[in-house]
Amino acid sequence: MRALAFGVRAICGVNALIGHLFSWLSLGIVVVCFTVVVQRYVFATSFVWMQDLYVWLNGAMFTAVAGFALMRNDHVRVDIFYRPAKPETKAIVDLIGCVFFLMPFCAIVYIYSMPFVTRSWSFTEGSANVGGMPGLYILKSFIIAFVVLLALQGVAMIMRSIVVLGGRSDLLPASQRYENATNLPDDEGVA
Amino acid sequence: MDPILIGEILAGLMFFGIIGFLLIGFPVAFTLAGVSLMFGAVGMALGVFDPSNFGALPNRYIGFMTSEVLVAVPLFIFMGVMLERSNIAEQLLLTMAKLFGNLRGGLGMSVIIVGAMLAASTGVVGATVVTMGLISLPAMLRAGYDPKLATGVICASGTLGQIIPPSTVLIFMGDMLSGINSQVQMAKGNFAPTPVSVGDLFAGALLPGFMLVGLYLLYTIFKAITDPASCPATPVPPEEKKDLLREVMVSLVPPMLLILSVLGSILGGIATPTEAASVGAVGAMILAALRWRLSFSILRQTTVTAATITSMVFIILLGASVFSIVFRLMGGDNLVHEFLTSLPGGALTAVAVVMLIMFVLGFILDTFEIIFIVIPITAPVLLALDVDPVWLGVIVGVNLQTSFLTPPFGFALFYLRGVAPDHLPTSAIYKGVIPFVFLQVIAISILFAFPQIVTWLPRLIAG
Repeated sequence: MRALAFGVRAICGVNALIGHLFSWLSLGIVVVCFTVVVQRYVFATSFVWMQDLYVWLNGAMFTAVAGFALMRNDHVRVDIFYRPAKPETKAIVDLIGCVFFLMPFCAIVYIYSMPFVTRSWSFTEGSANVGGMPGLYILKSFIIAFVVLLALQGVAMIMRSIVVLGGRSDLLPASQRYENATNLPDDEGVA
Repeated sequence: MDPILIGEILAGLMFFGIIGFLLIGFPVAFTLAGVSLMFGAVGMALGVFDPSNFGALPNRYIGFMTSEVLVAVPLFIFMGVMLERSNIAEQLLLTMAKLFGNLRGGLGMSVIIVGAMLAASTGVVGATVVTMGLISLPAMLRAGYDPKLATGVICASGTLGQIIPPSTVLIFMGDMLSGINSQVQMAKGNFAPTPVSVGDLFAGALLPGFMLVGLYLLYTIFKAITDPASCPATPVPPEEKKDLLREVMVSLVPPMLLILSVLGSILGGIATPTEAASVGAVGAMILAALRWRLSFSILRQTTVTAATITSMVFIILLGASVFSIVFRLMGGDNLVHEFLTSLPGGALTAVAVVMLIMFVLGFILDTFEIIFIVIPITAPVLLALDVDPVWLGVIVGVNLQTSFLTPPFGFALFYLRGVAPDHLPTSAIYKGVIPFVFLQVIAISILFAFPQIVTWLPRLIAG
């Protein structure tokens, strides 16, 4: 149980770190897009690579942050029955969901994206726009990062369910206990 | 058995199976994808589904990741979260309440107007209703409002985010409908179709949005006249009165100008929604900075909240893509096509049936799930029946908003229940919202009878 709880902590730590880091890209999108607007309307110039950049930043952000959002329980649930349920019931739902829904999804996306991404790496693919950003292969790799981080958090959820069902939810970090999993301030959950 | 039939039966079962599995409460995005994969596996075993079709997934995903139009979503969410976290939204409401406080029903009307202005924030029903509930419910109850009227006003104005531009829902809908529309027109042999843009949808939603706000305001005035005790005036003490002008200039005018200029530049065709949204986000930061509220902590909270909400919404889109691939390739779109075109009464009945399905789905699902599931499978048929894409998008928005208000399952009601004080009975929330559900039904009927309310402005702008 202790080892499992440690695993939950470790994975949550990784996703929290990545989540907090990549969340700043939202500010990056604002700044780059605003710069493009100012250049276009005030100075009547524009750089295609900058137009690519803020669009790509969004793609990188929402994929990289997905595991973190799962950790924070931000992904919407139909919670008519889930919300009032006992912690043990929630643990069973999350266990079933991770094993039968989340993991197969990650596996399928991984299997079918890998050739797509490696092909892109093989010719260091860049933007389709003339004068655009180099490194489309890096953005494409975020699909892989997305499923890996998500699957990792899925493993953490499975371990958490086992710990909760084993009656040792006291071993979990505060943000990962079902009793108080919601409405925690943003900086909680960083293990 | 005929493999086509097997596929169609599986596709139909999958649709209902997903709804069943969603009820156990695992996050929607992954349940959608996971259940679709299970049915895909069954389809594969029965020889009606070829898994190599999943090879289309990475292309779709990179399409979402490099979509210029969809970047407006994180930008508007950033703007909304910034206005909320820096207390600008709260100040806006309090000032507005003081301004109209001397009138009976004035506080209620302020809540409606601010709700309409903040509609932009996120488009996530829960988030808006919770924010509005936390800020304005205590104020209205303190002022002696009838809890029924107070909760009704909050739920109705909190769900305006579905429809009032620049709603994130309309951005996704515009993006989907524009793609579907050009395919449908091509298939019809129209190789130079008039494109549908997010801006068109914003323009189309503007008058219906104003109409809803107008209906809510009229109802509040009606209550103030017929039942004065339900919404007493909240007079401002004289010593605060002389500061009121200054407060209006500081708390009310700047955010109002910001929102109006963002919207105006999109509708006026000066800027794309994405460009205008970035100006709005920077504007929100400047407003926060002017109040000394742009601390590192607030900036960090804003980025984390904006990033996770954005991720949550886009991941539903990724999960729904798995669903639409499996559904389509097992022949589900044929099934939908046959069903919708066989209805008596043509396009109008077909739209009404789709609206009914969405309305019922609204009892368990939030907007994004519904539009990501239903629009891709039904809009191609509806648009082929010559339904106006802008009108369709707007009517879907108003319809879902109504669904979220309808007891006992309405989403908005659950969220408000979550933040309302315990002594406020749930029955008050249910009763309070009923008049507003009637107003919604009136609005939808008007939009069906006079589609020009939607189509007039986009055509005017297009020239």
